[in-house]
Amino acid sequence: MNGQAAETRLPRILDIGCGPTKFPGAIGADKNPDTAADVLCDVDQGSLPFADNSFDQIRALHIIEHVADVIKTMEEFHRVTRPGGTIYLVTPHYTDASSFRDPTHRWHLNSYSFLYFYKGGMHGRDMWYTKVRMREARLSVKLLSVWRLLGFEFLVNHLPRFRWFWEYYLSFVIRGKVMEFTFEVLK
Amino acid sequence: MSRATQADVLCDWNRTYPFAESTFDQVRLVHVIEEVENIFSTLAEVHRVTRPGGQVEIITPHYSDHASYCSPAHRWHLSSFSFWFFTDQPKEYDYYAPAHFVQKRVHVSLLQLWRLLGFEFLVNHSRGFRRFWEYYLSFVIRGKVITFQLEVVK
Repeated sequence: MNGQAAETRLPRILDIGCGPTKFPGAIGADKNPDTAADVLCDVDQGSLPFADNSFDQIRALHIIEHVADVIKTMEEFHRVTRPGGTIYLVTPHYTDASSFRDPTHRWHLNSYSFLYFYKGGMHGRDMWYTKVRMREARLSVKLLSVWRLLGFEFLVNHLPRFRWFWEYYLSFVIRGKVMEFTFEVLK
Repeated sequence: MSRATQADVLCDWNRTYPFAESTFDQVRLVHVIEEVENIFSTLAEVHRVTRPGGQVEIITPHYSDHASYCSPAHRWHLSSFSFWFFTDQPKEYDYYAPAHFVQKRVHVSLLQLWRLLGFEFLVNHSRGFRRFWEYYLSFVIRGKVITFQLEVVK
């Protein structure tokens, strides 16, 4: 019975920067006490109050564009996630007006902004800015609704070469909206 | 901050200002807000030193203007909706922005060509068009400077 319970245990999920609507079943963490947070902490004030490998999944929705240091924060997310666990990260694309609408957004990011964390991420080489490694298990870029209806969102998400072409040539006209990354933690 | 200016009072706009509460009828921040360390704490100080009902004028580059990027001292790239936090925000945002203002006026200037073609008029006379312009058009029909007029609520 106990063995079965262990096998079917619920995934341990951390919803970091959970705000007023925490992900169901997750531990919510936020720096603002007027939220659904179970744990009050601030990623900019040092390490997260969790042991290494504590979680199967971290959900970080609209957080990374606010933090003081993207690399240190991603390293902290990596530390508290178990090997093979996932980090689900949502952030505005830098061409969306929402990237500039919030006066606490420090970083304006694109769909290649996390290459430093991938094996062979930049020109086939590992980058030295960080030692932690993750794999981009999934990436979805949303575009403004007119462009989605015209099929550009499909092309951006299904043809890696087209995504490259879009980022470099088209994205200030055919503008992005939000990016959803799922990283698999490698340790 | 610098003696090379016409300042009567030298102070760091990232720290507490050397003025008593509600000292001023009007405070002007012309090309300042994009450089401060923390927009919320600066506006909290501005709110403190301005009298209730006093006016705050903020002038700053639009994020689509090259001027937003040509100074390495610019920390923030802002839009015409960037001060909604202080005006009609939900209650849970009081944690971040306890200083309240009423937004009396927003004006966006565009590059000369677009102004002559009538886009500046449209952007400033319809909030809906301004929103559409900012999401769909503003990296082609590019903005220049945003002027916000805020009234202090205490």
